[in-house]
Amino acid sequence: MKKLDLARDVLDKLVVDKGGTKMGRVDGLVLDLQGGGPPRVEVIEMGFVVLARRVHPRVERWVERLRRWSVRKTARQRVPWAKVKEVTPYHVQVDLEALKTPAFDWERWLRDHFVAKVPGED
Amino acid sequence: MKKWLQLGLGILTAVGGFFDMGAMATSAQAGANFRFQLLWAVAVATLMVVFLVEMSGRFAAVSNKALPDAIREHFGFTFWVVPFLVLSLSTFLVLATEIGGICFALHLVTGLPTPLMALPVAVLTWLFLWRSTFSTIENSTSLLGLITLAFVVAAFRHHPPAHEVLQGFVPSLPGEDPLKYWAIAVSIVGAVLSPYLFYFYSSGAVEDHWDESYVGVNRGIAAIGMGFGSVISLAGIVVAAMALAPRGIQVDDYHQAALMLTDAFPFWGFLLFAVSMGIACLGAALEVALAMAYSLAQTFGWNWGENLDPREDARFSTVYTVVLLLAALPILFGVDPLKLTILAMASEAAVLPFVALPFVLLMNDRKLLKEHANGWISNTVAGIVLLVALVLTAVSIPLALLGGGG
Repeated sequence: MKKLDLARDVLDKLVVDKGGTKMGRVDGLVLDLQGGGPPRVEVIEMGFVVLARRVHPRVERWVERLRRWSVRKTARQRVPWAKVKEVTPYHVQVDLEALKTPAFDWERWLRDHFVAKVPGED
Repeated sequence: MKKWLQLGLGILTAVGGFFDMGAMATSAQAGANFRFQLLWAVAVATLMVVFLVEMSGRFAAVSNKALPDAIREHFGFTFWVVPFLVLSLSTFLVLATEIGGICFALHLVTGLPTPLMALPVAVLTWLFLWRSTFSTIENSTSLLGLITLAFVVAAFRHHPPAHEVLQGFVPSLPGEDPLKYWAIAVSIVGAVLSPYLFYFYSSGAVEDHWDESYVGVNRGIAAIGMGFGSVISLAGIVVAAMALAPRGIQVDDYHQAALMLTDAFPFWGFLLFAVSMGIACLGAALEVALAMAYSLAQTFGWNWGENLDPREDARFSTVYTVVLLLAALPILFGVDPLKLTILAMASEAAVLPFVALPFVLLMNDRKLLKEHANGWISNTVAGIVLLVALVLTAVSIPLALLGGGG
């Protein structure tokens, strides 16, 4: 049986999309305890709020409040484990397109509202 | 043979890490106050930094990961968050210092007030980063950085007494003012062992696509690059000892340091000093701004790379843009560059153990580095660095307050 150590091999690892674009890190893991059987990895979570919760509940509340100014649509991006294509020593590859996920909300916004407006960048 | 072109990375790292604003101040102070007596501190710092830079390059070549990346991945976010924040703050102070250095160099040449230069300097530095690829920065900065060799030429022109210079390589107790002596010794080591150096070098190795075949070349690059920086620093002390000490100049202002080269080069000395300082600080500013963007992007898993078009890594490019502008503010509001330098160096020394410990643990991870994991020699040096780092943390800030400040 192949084994995967969630804390060592998955948590905090780089997440890349199907084209290999870096789209974040595994900031959190959620297990599903329903169904009576052994726990099952349900989703990987990504986002500053997820990270903040790992530090302290109060920090999580602060970051939640800061989200008022965030352009990111969802605080916690949840990627179902079913979308995980492979876990290598270098990354966790998921079957998504980074550009179309909330992970790239800021990237897109900065590209359109800042980078594109720099003279000579058109 | 082509691999040796990567020497540029070593020289660039050394220009930023060695002969920047901090080293300029400490060398001048060391020579002016204690003549050759503190040369040993540079030698010790060099030995340690060569080993650490070699390790960070080896790590990147074998694992294809830069350090902040690997530290977050292996030790987890909750471990990394505090050192990451403290380090970012300290690196930011260093960046402000380097911008101050470029402004001061321009002030020397033009006579215009230093604060006036802060914004134009930040914008021009940013423009250079925005437009260039990694190899352009590497090659131009390392080539221009050769001008700092003027200090070596000056050191020889002064004909310093050889036996006294050699004696300086043996640690000795100061005749007077021990507090100041140790404060300067600590800031010499602190200025050289800058944590961002290792982040930058390992990220640079990833940018340059190093693989396992670079492990050997990396050794040479680390030794030659850091050796270059070290020779300039040593020369700086010798020049200050010959030019400033006899006149009783103690360097509590960068203006006094600016007189260092005027004896050796009566006509060009002042300009040479200004240009050397400007270029060294520009190289350092580029390196530090990139190091901050690297560490942020790697911590959060963003797309990063100085070789990408800013459109492909908008967050990475935004980070160095914002930090460069913010770092211009202290100088703009008239903070004294020398005070800023001393504060920045003390903060760097204070955060070193937080960076060094996970680094050394990673270097011993055989799963990651296979046969390239640290051997006993590297581990001995790493252990000494850790001890020194702990001592520095304990003493750097009190010493900077008591003995530093010029």
